[in-house]
Amino acid sequence: MRLIIVFIVLFLIACSSSNQPLLEVKANVCDIDYTPYQATVTGYCQEAAAILPKRIPTVEKEIELRLIASIPEVFWYSNKMKYSLIKQAEKAPLVFVIAGTGASYNSSKMISLQKTLFQQGYHVISLSSPTYSNFIINLDSTTDFPGVLSKDAQNLYGVMQKVYQQVVVENNIEATSFSLTGYSLGGAHAAYISKLDESEKIFNFKKVVLINPPVSLYNSVTILDSYLDLKDGGRDAASAMLDDIFSAFAQSYAEQQSSAFSDGSIYALFKDAELSEEELELLIGASFRMSSSDMLFALDVSYNLGGLIYKNHKITKFESITNAMHRSNIVTFGQYFEKVVVPWQQENHPNLTREELIAKLGLKNIESYLRHSEKISLVTNADDIILAEGEVEYLQDVFGSRAQIFTRGGHCGNMDRVSFVEYMNSQFQGSE
Amino acid sequence: MMSFNQLLTRILLILSVILLTACSSVPYLEGNTQEPRVTLPTGYAEKTLTSEYDDPWEGFNRRMYYFNAKADEYVLLPVVAGYKAVTPDVLEVGIHNFFSNLGEIPVFINSILQAKVGVAAETFSRFAVNASLGALGFFDVATPLGLDKQNEDFGQTLGVWGINSGPYLVLPLLGPSSLRDATGAALDMLAFQTVIEELGMEGDEEMFLSLLSSIDARANLPFRYYSSGSAFEYERLKILYMKYREIQIAR
Repeated sequence: MRLIIVFIVLFLIACSSSNQPLLEVKANVCDIDYTPYQATVTGYCQEAAAILPKRIPTVEKEIELRLIASIPEVFWYSNKMKYSLIKQAEKAPLVFVIAGTGASYNSSKMISLQKTLFQQGYHVISLSSPTYSNFIINLDSTTDFPGVLSKDAQNLYGVMQKVYQQVVVENNIEATSFSLTGYSLGGAHAAYISKLDESEKIFNFKKVVLINPPVSLYNSVTILDSYLDLKDGGRDAASAMLDDIFSAFAQSYAEQQSSAFSDGSIYALFKDAELSEEELELLIGASFRMSSSDMLFALDVSYNLGGLIYKNHKITKFESITNAMHRSNIVTFGQYFEKVVVPWQQENHPNLTREELIAKLGLKNIESYLRHSEKISLVTNADDIILAEGEVEYLQDVFGSRAQIFTRGGHCGNMDRVSFVEYMNSQFQGSE
Repeated sequence: MMSFNQLLTRILLILSVILLTACSSVPYLEGNTQEPRVTLPTGYAEKTLTSEYDDPWEGFNRRMYYFNAKADEYVLLPVVAGYKAVTPDVLEVGIHNFFSNLGEIPVFINSILQAKVGVAAETFSRFAVNASLGALGFFDVATPLGLDKQNEDFGQTLGVWGINSGPYLVLPLLGPSSLRDATGAALDMLAFQTVIEELGMEGDEEMFLSLLSSIDARANLPFRYYSSGSAFEYERLKILYMKYREIQIAR
């Protein structure tokens, strides 16, 4: 969710060519008025950041799942599936981590989870979301559309096995047990993978933690789509507002003492920009739309759908794809669901209604498993913006004493904060 | 004798002129293609953020973007990795501080040109403090004293003087820029070159220093080509660059 801000921040830090390491140094707390939207965008910076290792020994890994020759030329830089391994010196328990919608194995939230889990003594394998371009392009499938949780879980489960084989051979990993976690959409994936593992019994997960998962994909996606769908004026109003946001940042930067960008000054910048709730929603919506347009383009290219690009046309690596980007930017996740996911699923299951499919895409579909599986815990925030009315109460009811619901944090805004990390530490105790 | 930087500038200039005029990014469509099913509302494309910034040299820019990614992968990043491996961290920081301190000179000149007296004074103090107390700039003692590092360059000066960015331009090795900012960067480089010559360096030493400064610059830039994983990284980086410059110039 923080993609845009992170993008801006990364870019600004890059340009200021300061020699401060990225992400490691966090200002202690910020002085911004709390809202769940603000926490989703900047992080729940009102709470102190947890103490995490500055550096972890990450090994960048890639695995060939499809013939490289079959990867479309426009994705020439993405011709193997990328993931990462963080290895303990000795044999240790291993945890798989799955990223959220549109996020890669090395997104900033993934990195903070990696640090937390590595610090607890785990080998950590991080996988991108099945909605991330690199995953889509490299998946050994020519038919699967991401978003159908049970199908995604099968694909992820297959990838996890191959990747695990690879790290055993190439990195001499010795795992004493397996655990699993994921945030946002990755949290829902973790629930489904855990269920699949009960019958497949490849990993026999010891501990599974779902972080800020959606209860119903359809509800969450509808909420996020709506943030870009401004009531008065629609698109024009949205781009005008985006311009205003940029001007607000420009203004507060102009008034800042130093031209350098530290984390502290970014919070200051944000505070001075005084974004309204509607503007924050717009940023969240825009960031979500960016993820979805990346996903749609990758699917279109991979399966030659002819939705956003010319059907039967092979895009070369120097070709302008700006028009395809414009097209993918106007497609909502809702439209993707109605026009792609529903027909595809109905082709395979002729009796399936749209309503039944919506009901299948969420945690309720596997409720009894979640209710009775002691190894699964849930952590979320009472004000998580992707949850519709009643869904927090639903989670509390289903997970009972295995639910940790923090009052504040928005959607995944607190993953690097003290109380969240403490909670994770209590769940991931390493090898006892 | 021509310096390394001058030679490089000249080669790149010639290369740029040839490439700028010669390539296109318009797709060649095969016979059996079909129009995309999603259609844009009329006038949509003109109103997007991407279209706010001119990119008439897109064909050249995309090729240069690709070239830079490859140069990064096969040359720059391996060199940076080697440099980091052989240089103790303390020395690495020292070298970075040294070049950063030399970099205060163009910042100073540009803040004068933009009539920003406060910025100029702060930068001058930084330079003086670091050059003396900081042992020729190897230590940054100015920042803890509350003298903040400023960021001005000739591209910004031209912007403050009312010159528009001109078309987006991806420079060889240096990456995102614009016609205005590239011109500015060339002038800044000239100023930097003059400083190095003032230090009384011989040909080889000068070349070594230029090389070291380039390695240091790359080592301190966390950006990696195509690491966003998005197919639209080119477009998004263009917007970010142009917006970032607007923000800097407004300062």
